[in-house]
Amino acid sequence: MNKIVSAFSALAVTAMLAGAVEAADLVIYTSQPNEDAQATVDGFKAANPGLEVEWVRDGTPKIMAKLMAEIEAGNPVADILLIADTVTLERMKQAGQLMAYKSPEAQNFDAALYDAEGHYYSTKLITTGIMYNTQAGMKPTSWKDLIKAEAKGLVAMPSPLTSGAALIHAQTLTGVDSLGWDYYRSLKDNGAVASGGNGAVLKSVASGEKAYGMVVDYMPIREKAKGAPVEFVFPEEGVSAVTEPVAILSSTEHAEAAKKFIDYILSEEGQKVQLGLGYIPARNGLGVPEGFPARDQIKVLPVNAADALKTSEEDLKTFSDIFGTAG
Amino acid sequence: MRSSVRSGNSQPRWLFPFVVIVVLVLSVLPLARLAWTGIVSALRGDAGQLLADPALWSATLNTLATSFLGMIAAVILGGSFAVLLTLFDVRGRSALGFLFMLPMMIPPQVTALSWIGLTGPSSTLLKALGMAPPLGSPQPLYSIGGIALLFGVQHAPLVYLAMRAGLLALPKEGVEAARLSGASTVRVLLDIVLPLAMPGLVAGAAIAFVSGVGNFGIPAILGIPASIYTLPTLIYSKFASFGPTTFADISIISVLITLLAVAGLSVEARVLRGRDYRTIGLPGQAAVFRLGAVRLPAEMLLWLVTFIILVLPFLALLAGSLAPAYGVPLNLETATLHAYEEVILRQSVTRSAFTNSVSLALASAFGLLVISVLLGYYIVQTKSRTAATISALAEVPYALPGIVLAVAFILLLAAPLPILGFSVYGTIWIILIAYLSSFLAVSLKPVISAYRQFDPSLEEAARLSGAGFYRRMRDVLVPLIAPAAGSSIILVFLIACNELTVSALLWSAGTQTLGVAIYNLDDSGSFNLAAALSVLVVVMVVVLMLILELMARRLPAGALPWRR
Repeated sequence: MNKIVSAFSALAVTAMLAGAVEAADLVIYTSQPNEDAQATVDGFKAANPGLEVEWVRDGTPKIMAKLMAEIEAGNPVADILLIADTVTLERMKQAGQLMAYKSPEAQNFDAALYDAEGHYYSTKLITTGIMYNTQAGMKPTSWKDLIKAEAKGLVAMPSPLTSGAALIHAQTLTGVDSLGWDYYRSLKDNGAVASGGNGAVLKSVASGEKAYGMVVDYMPIREKAKGAPVEFVFPEEGVSAVTEPVAILSSTEHAEAAKKFIDYILSEEGQKVQLGLGYIPARNGLGVPEGFPARDQIKVLPVNAADALKTSEEDLKTFSDIFGTAG
Repeated sequence: MRSSVRSGNSQPRWLFPFVVIVVLVLSVLPLARLAWTGIVSALRGDAGQLLADPALWSATLNTLATSFLGMIAAVILGGSFAVLLTLFDVRGRSALGFLFMLPMMIPPQVTALSWIGLTGPSSTLLKALGMAPPLGSPQPLYSIGGIALLFGVQHAPLVYLAMRAGLLALPKEGVEAARLSGASTVRVLLDIVLPLAMPGLVAGAAIAFVSGVGNFGIPAILGIPASIYTLPTLIYSKFASFGPTTFADISIISVLITLLAVAGLSVEARVLRGRDYRTIGLPGQAAVFRLGAVRLPAEMLLWLVTFIILVLPFLALLAGSLAPAYGVPLNLETATLHAYEEVILRQSVTRSAFTNSVSLALASAFGLLVISVLLGYYIVQTKSRTAATISALAEVPYALPGIVLAVAFILLLAAPLPILGFSVYGTIWIILIAYLSSFLAVSLKPVISAYRQFDPSLEEAARLSGAGFYRRMRDVLVPLIAPAAGSSIILVFLIACNELTVSALLWSAGTQTLGVAIYNLDDSGSFNLAAALSVLVVVMVVVLMLILELMARRLPAGALPWRR
């Protein structure tokens, strides 16, 4: 009986394990927060019934590290990357790790928002501005308000080692003449902390551990709608922006499903889902979510993608030297 | 009668090779690979850059500080509970004992999340009570002291168990003799009980220290936001920013963690050396002292502590899971089950995490059952030096911090397997193999103690009557060890289901475990989802422990870790 029981349990368990990792038709690595990633995937599955989609969520630098470790081990699992910034994807394109695909939906997008050869496409506009807790003593209007004495020890910001948007943000602000790396040094002197991603900043400002935060726009605007005591401002100098691009990995074994995903997320329907989640869609003519100023009112600071790509390593090091962070 | 030439022999021919292969794959190979990479990269000079990195040394210092302070907290908490519940006439001892054991089985990241919900300006619970600290107050737990405090709570049961075992073995005669000679209760405690309880206390303290060194969940949630890194979280962050020297770095840090753990254990051995605690007389019922007038206050204190370390954090977790958004005060109108809905019905991540953890836990529990029944049989029956070595080797992976084991398996299995040509890295199988290795000792222990409990003449009689190995297994051995085997299944299931440290390094798309899902949800800022999932996990743990508790009477002594 022992033999039968063990044989049976071995069989049952193998079946369960095999079932637990049933081959998905598409694997997506994304930096969208869990609920948004799920909504995106749900929308795609509704538009393409019968496709099994698996997704993994982490901050852009972390999910990239995971992917690179898998590529190193010769076993990359992802088919689609949907991450914060085009800089990372530009690097992957140059390394030959992305597949080119010309989506028919691209005609509805500004040409600056996608790669001409079709390696990646921007899906939305995410700006980084300032959020504050409504109990805070000051209503910040400028980036420089965060280095004032009123904000001493009360500022949180995401670490570029965790968040892709935070890296672009740092590269954008340090490119502004009146700010530069000195601005970040003053932030450190003023007791600002940099750790974790944008979610961590949202949490510490909304919960009152900190009063002010540098954070991506949609998080506080959405939480405010749910009743959280937070406000978001677009500082007068302007905001940095990332475009959450999507791309297909050249190692994919599910190219057809991956192309369908690109087409879906760029389609009017897919873009409306993002709008509904509180993002500014990248596609033309869809407007902005509730709580945002009109798109032409938002002043986006320029960043040179080619330069940003070249100096990424160095900028990360400068940042960690200032803030002494490891993650 | 079914019999073959070898039917009367004690062991089938394949048993020894089987045992060797199991120990080789689950213990020797991964550890040898880790040591090898550590030594090679040290010799190649890769270590230079890492060893010159101040981050490594501050992490080492943080590890030592948190583990040491955590050990002290655990000794105070666990020691006083052990003494009061074992030696004094406190009412409701078994209920208190069971509740005090719970933190040990609750996943550390859940403990950390619930305590965060309890303190600081973010506390939904304090907000609901109108007692939250003002804006800008730092979260007090994001500190060395906070990490140490939670280590203390989490590891106090280990001290409690180790001390209780010693206290239960106290001979009644000694205490009675002292009493008859007119010694006061305090005198008896100091002169007779304390010296005899020392080995248990030291052993418990050592286990608490080593557990602190290897703990990942608590410093990950409390330390990383404040940039306080311990060695396990440093490995995690090195791994999360993968680079060309990552493998060399993490193998060296792993070796460092192992050295700290070994150092902790050898301090224990040193303290206990030269002390001989042989007692004369029967280790009767624990000597019961009367508390007299202070009984009620003592009982109230015990319940109060239990309330603070167990009920309050759970309430905070529950409050966090019901809040609609951060910073919104919780009351009947704002409370929502949205987080539960999202976690149970919508998030495919949490659903697949449930499936993965349950499948992994079942596979580990049943796989290890088969392995333990055979391995235990070999170890108990063969009284040779080889058997002793094999038994020791089987124990090693459990004694090592999970993060070290995970690193060892990554190094061993990252490259494609020889002959087969594919890699199990990034699949669920690498997690399963690491679980089998890590929990082998958990499963083996109850089975071995059950084998030792029954008279070998039973099996001999069956053998002399010509029963073959399978027949003896089926008709004699398995029925006798069944209760122990049952408890080992549930125990492994319980631990594997809540595991975080090993899977935090080994997970990939589609193979997230429950522990990883909770950690990642919190990391992405979805505290309410993380809290809801944690509440579900706590409920599951309590139910499983209650089932084991009900089975306890039929189990051999020592089968359940919290009822030694």
